[in-house]
Amino acid sequence: MSYAIEAIGLTHYYAKGTQQQVAAVDHVDLAVERGELVGMIGHTGSGKSTLISHFNGLLKPSEGKVLVDGVDIWRDKETLRQSRFKVGLCFQYPEYQLFEETVYKDIAFGPGNMKLPKEEIDARVRRAAEFVGLTPALLEKSPFDLSGGEKRRAAIAGVMSMEPEVLIFDEPAAGLDPRGRKDLMALIRSYRAETGSTVIIVSHSMEDIASLADRVVVMNQAKIAMQGTVDEVYSQGDALRAMGLNVPDITEIFARLHAQGLPVPTNIYTVADGVRALQALGGRWRA
Amino acid sequence: MNDTIIEFENVTFTYDSEEGEAPKTPALRNVTLRVKRGEFLAVLGHNGSGKSTLAKLCNAIYTPQSGVVRVNGLVGDTEEKADQIRRIVGMVFQNPDNQIVATIVEDDVAFGPENLGVEPQEIRRRVDDALRAVNMYEFRLREPHKLSGGQKQRVAIAGVLAMQTDCIVLDEPTAMLDPKGREEVMSTVHRLNEEMGITVILVTHFMDEAVDADRVVVMDSGRIVMQGTPAQVFSQVDTVRRYGLDVPQATELCHALGMPGCVLTIEDCVAQIAARAGGDAG
Amino acid sequence: MIGDITIGQYYAGASVLHRMDPRAKLAATFWLIVVIFLCKSFFALGLITLTAIVAVLLSRVPLKMIFRSLRPIVIILIFTAVLNVFYNKGGATYWEWWKITVTEKGVNTALFTMVRIIVLVVISSLLTYTTTPTMLTDGLERLLSPLKVFKIKVHTLAMMMTLALRFIPTLIEEIERIMNAQKARGADLETGGLLQRAKALVPIFIPLMVSAFRRAYELAFAMTCRCYTGGEGRTRMKQMKLAARDVLLLIFCAGITAGVLVLNHFFTAVI
Repeated sequence: MSYAIEAIGLTHYYAKGTQQQVAAVDHVDLAVERGELVGMIGHTGSGKSTLISHFNGLLKPSEGKVLVDGVDIWRDKETLRQSRFKVGLCFQYPEYQLFEETVYKDIAFGPGNMKLPKEEIDARVRRAAEFVGLTPALLEKSPFDLSGGEKRRAAIAGVMSMEPEVLIFDEPAAGLDPRGRKDLMALIRSYRAETGSTVIIVSHSMEDIASLADRVVVMNQAKIAMQGTVDEVYSQGDALRAMGLNVPDITEIFARLHAQGLPVPTNIYTVADGVRALQALGGRWRA
Repeated sequence: MNDTIIEFENVTFTYDSEEGEAPKTPALRNVTLRVKRGEFLAVLGHNGSGKSTLAKLCNAIYTPQSGVVRVNGLVGDTEEKADQIRRIVGMVFQNPDNQIVATIVEDDVAFGPENLGVEPQEIRRRVDDALRAVNMYEFRLREPHKLSGGQKQRVAIAGVLAMQTDCIVLDEPTAMLDPKGREEVMSTVHRLNEEMGITVILVTHFMDEAVDADRVVVMDSGRIVMQGTPAQVFSQVDTVRRYGLDVPQATELCHALGMPGCVLTIEDCVAQIAARAGGDAG
Repeated sequence: MIGDITIGQYYAGASVLHRMDPRAKLAATFWLIVVIFLCKSFFALGLITLTAIVAVLLSRVPLKMIFRSLRPIVIILIFTAVLNVFYNKGGATYWEWWKITVTEKGVNTALFTMVRIIVLVVISSLLTYTTTPTMLTDGLERLLSPLKVFKIKVHTLAMMMTLALRFIPTLIEEIERIMNAQKARGADLETGGLLQRAKALVPIFIPLMVSAFRRAYELAFAMTCRCYTGGEGRTRMKQMKLAARDVLLLIFCAGITAGVLVLNHFFTAVI
């Protein structure tokens, strides 16, 4: 069976053919399984945004291929068009894409472009709105009258309503406060649980990735520097720091405790796990 | 000299509502706050808690409907006094792109002092000093749109420094930056506070940025609901959470383990746990 | 990448031309452009061409950059040359085929016009290569300041120009971002008739306007915070003082003008 998304030798040059030619993505091979949740990390300029823009054909690879469902998306015009609907891409600060008179119409923009029947569009808009927690009353308002958090969710619903097989988020929580961030991560988690879709999240937050991802892909200097489970990647603290990334504070705490000779595990990525590990160890604290 | 630089006394502020709209609820309600000269004050709160409004009242951009804001004893009720206040309190905003005026870094830093009518040679000196203070001197001839977010914010900070204000108010300066940019901006702000004695008011929703402040104020629905040292505030983990905020992971861990006191940093957390570890519970 | 675009086309340097007063450079550029159109004979044109070459050498801007500024006008050059060759008849006939004749006059006029356009572009791009956009707008503001008498808000105009220059790259990036976001939602911007395409721009135009207004609002706010109250009482970090070399430049322009007029008089006019 084919992968949800597969990149083979994917390379993208900026300023191609000039002396300033740089590879923003350099011979990347990546296969994303159906239903998998992949977390992608890397500092700014590591190539992760350029990489994901290839997955729905917004950028054309200079070399290599992108396969969606095993088919090269650049095979012909129709395949390319279909790839936009199969792979939904939700950019950073997606609220800046809102434009319609009502939230409803804005969420319906994607499905409308898919030329779906009216009833189907309506059903999709309502499903997507429910997923992101927008009440039916809000659907009739102008998107520009919503609060910041609601705008973000309306914009996400505008991508979800296309019901793509793969949904990619670029920094979905950028600019949100801690509660907004937590709510959004919970939303993504439940979306994936209910639809079983493949999800790729690009984020700077090592904490968010740790709590969500099945697999972590680390980009550095236009290449995939590491990939594996959260355990496999986060255990290489030094290598991550060398790439300008940090492990979560809680992981750092346990690494230092371990280094001091305490018999604690080092694969701790959430505070809840940390509490359990220390309670199991025993000490002068609440058991 | 009076050691209070900014003073809010029973300040209530409501944004104007548009015609035909229902009147808005107040963004600030009865806020009383004293900011000490040289202090590093962090203002925390979820989006819409009123923290940005508090920042914007600090330099007479808005005037409160009731209560009074004094800066060095001045009330910004006339254009002239507002102008004087803006020479004392400078602002840095969230979006780095929307506060840079010129097409060359050094020209942008010069914008403030030029408006103040400072002598050309003196402007040159201030611009160079300000750019050195934020480690952007080598970038003085660059075009701002080619800089990273963290670099742009440092240029904005230099623009305030060149005006030689006593106080700098930063309204979520790191919200749009990546971790590296955040680190650059935060270390710059701390250095200015420690080395140059500039009063800093930092509005943020990143808890780790508030940990090193002298004092933390937590806002919720337009009111100040908590204040104290970072340890005093963050030790009340459940209250902080109720206001839609978070605490540093180190604090959360020690709190969940029921350890007394308040741990803020990774170092403290490791030391305290190491001291208490090993089967001898009780 | 679009984000790499340069505002104007300043080439950082420290040559004599870079150091000259922007007002003098602006005035000289306009002056020389007028002189280019005064040229009637090949010798006069030669003189101004020589001037342009000397200016390029003085500026130390690499020839590659100069050629780059000529690239966009290649088509215009070819077009004017072809038109001139076929529409001007006179003198010896060089080549004839069917209804097409190429005459001495045609070739001469074509050459003359081409050189004239090239010199014009070279001289005006030298101005932007050696002067930062800020200095240009500042220079323009001060050159035009006498217009204040007629209640024209010169400072406001110059400030608007600076802000436009500053925000062009930002807004181009923004358009790119919005286009990508809408394309990702299946927006089709490439096919369909004129009306359909115009309609397809709505999802891009509206967010762009919303964003531009938000930026303008925030910028105005930030400028107020930095004590901006208009042009009055402002000083400038970068002072403009006319030096001997600036006066020399203008005298030199006068010399070139005289030279062109004399050469026009003594040699046969091409146009």
